[in-house]
Amino acid sequence: MTKLFNEAAIRQTAKETERWRKETLQDKGGSGSYTTESGIPIELLYTPEALAGMEYNRDIGYPGEPPFVRGIYPNMYRGRLFTVRQLAGFGAPEDCNRRIRFLLDNGATGVNIVFDLPTIRGYNSDDPEAEGNVGQCGVAVDSLEDMEALFAGVPIDQVSVSLVTHLPSVTVVLLSMYMVMAEKRGIPFAKLAGTTQNDFLMETTVGSGPEILPPQASFRLQCDAIEYAARHLPRWNPVSYNGYNLREAGTNAVQEVAVAIANAIATAEELIRRGLPIDAFARRMSFFWDLCNDFFEEIAKCRASRKVFYEVMKNRFNALDERSCLMRFHVQTAGITLTKIEPLNNIARSAIQGLAAILGGAQSLHIDSYDEAYSAPTEQAALVSLRTQQILQAETNVVNTVDPLAGSYYVEYLTKEMANRIWGYIQEIEQRGGLIQAVESGWMHREISNYAYQQQKDIESGKRKIVGVNYMRSGQATQGNIEVFRYPETEGRQKAKLASLRERRNNDIVTASLAVLREKCRSRENLIPYVVEAVKANATLGEIEEVFRQEFGLWQFPLA
Amino acid sequence: MERKVVKVVMAKLGLDIHWRGVVAVSRLLRDAGMEVVYLGNQFPEAIVNAAIQEGADVVGLSTLGGNHAVLGPKVVQLLREKGMDDVMVIMGGVIPEEDIPALKAAGIVEVFGPETAIDEIVACINANVRQVG
Repeated sequence: MTKLFNEAAIRQTAKETERWRKETLQDKGGSGSYTTESGIPIELLYTPEALAGMEYNRDIGYPGEPPFVRGIYPNMYRGRLFTVRQLAGFGAPEDCNRRIRFLLDNGATGVNIVFDLPTIRGYNSDDPEAEGNVGQCGVAVDSLEDMEALFAGVPIDQVSVSLVTHLPSVTVVLLSMYMVMAEKRGIPFAKLAGTTQNDFLMETTVGSGPEILPPQASFRLQCDAIEYAARHLPRWNPVSYNGYNLREAGTNAVQEVAVAIANAIATAEELIRRGLPIDAFARRMSFFWDLCNDFFEEIAKCRASRKVFYEVMKNRFNALDERSCLMRFHVQTAGITLTKIEPLNNIARSAIQGLAAILGGAQSLHIDSYDEAYSAPTEQAALVSLRTQQILQAETNVVNTVDPLAGSYYVEYLTKEMANRIWGYIQEIEQRGGLIQAVESGWMHREISNYAYQQQKDIESGKRKIVGVNYMRSGQATQGNIEVFRYPETEGRQKAKLASLRERRNNDIVTASLAVLREKCRSRENLIPYVVEAVKANATLGEIEEVFRQEFGLWQFPLA
Repeated sequence: MERKVVKVVMAKLGLDIHWRGVVAVSRLLRDAGMEVVYLGNQFPEAIVNAAIQEGADVVGLSTLGGNHAVLGPKVVQLLREKGMDDVMVIMGGVIPEEDIPALKAAGIVEVFGPETAIDEIVACINANVRQVG
């Protein structure tokens, strides 16, 4: 093994840097303290000194080879461009179906569905808890028939579909609906390509709600979906470890990645306990990152996260299949950075974050829309996001060489530093008894709350600058002329469909299937096959979730 | 005359999952000298019951989930039914400009968007809260 720079060269550089500092820089280096968003100190200048001791093959290597810092595929975007996967989700399934087809017709290469809050929190559109939220911020799905309406005319055997299911309890139901729909269309499970989010942190930590399953129960369902997919859905990513929403709720880039990998570690331990070898499921674990405004830190985060995941899978779980060690991730640009004031500025922010995703080697990308501080995106705003992706792909030439920032003294230094700090935070979680314990104790919630509070204080004090808001605020800070996206009254239509479904279906079979599911909740069996039976009987999402709530009980969110 | 501190009951409205803003605002109002109780996610009936139990002067509702138009006015209406007309209700979150007049007409004193400075919220509370003490 040879070092990138030999010791004599490093010594020479150190000497030269000292000379430059005295003769040329003099006192112009600035007196402030400079750090990245996560608090890594930033030097004015990086030189080969920053890479002292680094060995190319061991520490950076080649794309498609360990430690995968430079990317998981040897040819990266020349082989396959990142998937243009714009979110869509609003109204009734019939309304949302039109948006999916609009995006596909305009060149989107994947589908990405968000669900409304009642669906995501496990209620039917006609449950009292759903009032005022049906079809808002996502599409309402109550039943198998809704899932079929959502994907009518969408070739699910050809297009990969991401279902942003958030909670494991909701994942097991929506994934079952998706599988039953495929079966009815005669599509074999082996052809289903896509992702469910399925992250117990979304249920217990990142998103709050009035009724929350205990972390252990939520984690069990998360693992049920992953185990089932390992056995039956070879092209499905049954989990997308969601650093994104954790970051949006309030963490830095280090915590975002560390917590997601800690969840992957907990999952791997559980599935191995259930008797699956690591290589049977690890290659289908996927990740979801939030790219904020600290351009180089975000790129370094992406590069470092691949290395840490590789080390976990290789050294801790002894994975033999190299695919088990590949961290594949989706990126969404940072909603938290979008402003309501001067909303068109958000197009610039999102484009920069999208560029960072490509330089970081993302597998798929959603670029936020400029009007998201107002409402779910209008068709016009959604098109600008889609076009931003296409401009990055087709006009900038950034996709044609692999990992172009490799070798930058700064980026390599940051990548190394991020990897160390991600490891440090993983160790802190493990010292607290592992991730589930860190959630149950409320520690994770306090970490998020403290960060969000501190960041807000930094915005209030002006330490953290936001253009148009607390920096360069114009006299007449306008909110622009943003059309708010509205859609036809959804609640009534969904309620009518539910009433009709309850008339038409065989309620005895529904009751029987739910009784079996209830019984199995008390066992340690994988619940998916029993959820599938209930879905086939046209049991509704809310009915199945009610079984979970009754059987697993509710947990007090530690911030109330 | 010694003045008691203003008591604020804060809640995440209904099913909305985004708790970052409401927790940050709760802590900043506390820093500003108010007494703050954060209820977590609650529906209007429970929010109003808690406001009564706590003797709240102000109810703060947070939502980024699109349920403001239905559930916000419901909180005001339930407070009125319980004879608590003098409890000030404010809202924050992602709420379209064009929905704000209807919310104000329904009795919500102010609606704060994403970039609001905490001083603005404190000033609004101090200017509109009932006589405390």
